Amino acid sequence: MAHLLLDSSIRLWVVLPIVFITFFVGVLRHYITQLIHNDKKVDLQQVSDSQVLLRSRILRENGKYLPKQSFAMRKHYFNNPETGFFKKVKRKVIPKNPMTDPSTLMDMMKGNLTNVLPMILIGGWINWAFSGFVTTKVPFPLTLRFKPMLQRGIELISLDASWVSSASWYFLNVFGLRSMYTLILGQDNAADQSRIMQDQMTGAAMAMPPDPNKAFKSEWESLEIVEHKWALENVEEELMQLQYKTTLF
Amino acid sequence: MSSISELYDVCWEEMRDKLRKWREENYRNSEQIVDVGEELINEHASKLGDDVWIIYEQVMIAALDCSRDDLAWSCLQELKRQFPDSHRVKRLAGMRLEALERYEDANKLYDSILQDDPTNTVTRKRKISILQAQGKSSEAIRELNEYLEQFVGDQEAWHELSELYINEHDYAKAAFCLEELMMTNPHNHLYCEQYAEVKYTQGGLENLELARKYFAQALKLNNRNMRALFGLYMSASHIAASPKVSAKVKKDNVKYAAWATSQISRAYQVRGTQECTLGVFPVRLEDSCHTLLMEPPLL
Repeated sequence: MAHLLLDSSIRLWVVLPIVFITFFVGVLRHYITQLIHNDKKVDLQQVSDSQVLLRSRILRENGKYLPKQSFAMRKHYFNNPETGFFKKVKRKVIPKNPMTDPSTLMDMMKGNLTNVLPMILIGGWINWAFSGFVTTKVPFPLTLRFKPMLQRGIELISLDASWVSSASWYFLNVFGLRSMYTLILGQDNAADQSRIMQDQMTGAAMAMPPDPNKAFKSEWESLEIVEHKWALENVEEELMQLQYKTTLF
Repeated sequence: MSSISELYDVCWEEMRDKLRKWREENYRNSEQIVDVGEELINEHASKLGDDVWIIYEQVMIAALDCSRDDLAWSCLQELKRQFPDSHRVKRLAGMRLEALERYEDANKLYDSILQDDPTNTVTRKRKISILQAQGKSSEAIRELNEYLEQFVGDQEAWHELSELYINEHDYAKAAFCLEELMMTNPHNHLYCEQYAEVKYTQGGLENLELARKYFAQALKLNNRNMRALFGLYMSASHIAASPKVSAKVKKDNVKYAAWATSQISRAYQVRGTQECTLGVFPVRLEDSCHTLLMEPPLL
């Protein structure tokens, strides 16, 4: 293991500036996003459908607290072959082509502008400005496969992969300062980049998935197989057992 | 007239925090809010920063409750000046019209909000409360039903609908609404207890059994619920007294009723009441259970 002594001016002029730059750019991104963000117009139909799906899911989970008759009534409302909600209601689905639909296009562009663009720009600048030397060492050992990725600009074959360049320190900061943003900007801030990436991956969380029919069908299937096992079957006995163990008042 | 801060010796930060607590926990102590809020606005508005707007809203609603139209009007003016195009402020203006009983104007205002934003649930609920205020309960029920068809998840609305049905003595439908609430909040003992009471009021052997079970569930969730305890006793003893039950069911119910009796008497003992009437009360309960057990089984 090579023990390298780094110049302490690296710490002063590279490590700390990168931290500050990342942090302030993040805060700036947050405010800019708030400025150019416009409220999403929600469709009444979508809201209604998402609530119906939620109700059906709750029926599946908590139906055991309802009397058998009530549970059967609700299951029938949803799943009846002729008049059931999931069977009868077919929503007209307009496949929203992300390329042609202007509003989603604008949103995508704005998202790219505020998040990806600064990252690329600043990453590139740091790579250009702070290249050619080792910045810091990650505390755990890495394999040699990571060398070309983390040691851009340092052409030393014998150097341990744990020693990384400033670009990787920058990326570490981007993700690491997330909790700092939460502390200063409050929850739900737009500077939180990893969350944005997560959102992009999981798709729409609040809004309906683009195909409500598919959602209905899968909900129908799940509801079909649920049996009603009444949780209150022996509740009085359980209650009296409980009270023998603890004093009531 | 001394101010709140002198009376209770609190500073403006404590008053602001108190208002926040009342706002977050949905208290309806409107007179207190008006007193504290009015002073906060008049004396310390500059120190509140951005909090002042939400305090204006809170105080305005409380002022409408206390018929303080002057205060409500001034709060509304401030809010209108700051947020000229806001739906939320328009809705507050509508509420003020409601308080003045100008229902037509309020309705027109709400309709204009809904045209702009059909998903605005709060405004739709205000329209329904106008109908309730005018005493048109059947129309209110109909509107609320339509609202709930679109927004099945709105628990406040389900509760309101169950109350409306209870007032109309339509207990079956009220039970349905309470079932929705129980489904979404399975650990809330109050919904279980309300449901059990509705079932008990409906009457009939099956409903009494359900009532007894749900009273027991409410007790399981919160063993300090006295109403549920009394309800358990009443439903169990009614079932036991009914001529149509089998002997086993009767025995079980007498056992439940006796258990409930012992719990009730213990509760009163622990509470430390020394009055003779209450001392007699638990004994008489036990007596009546005893006589139920002694009755010959009817075949």
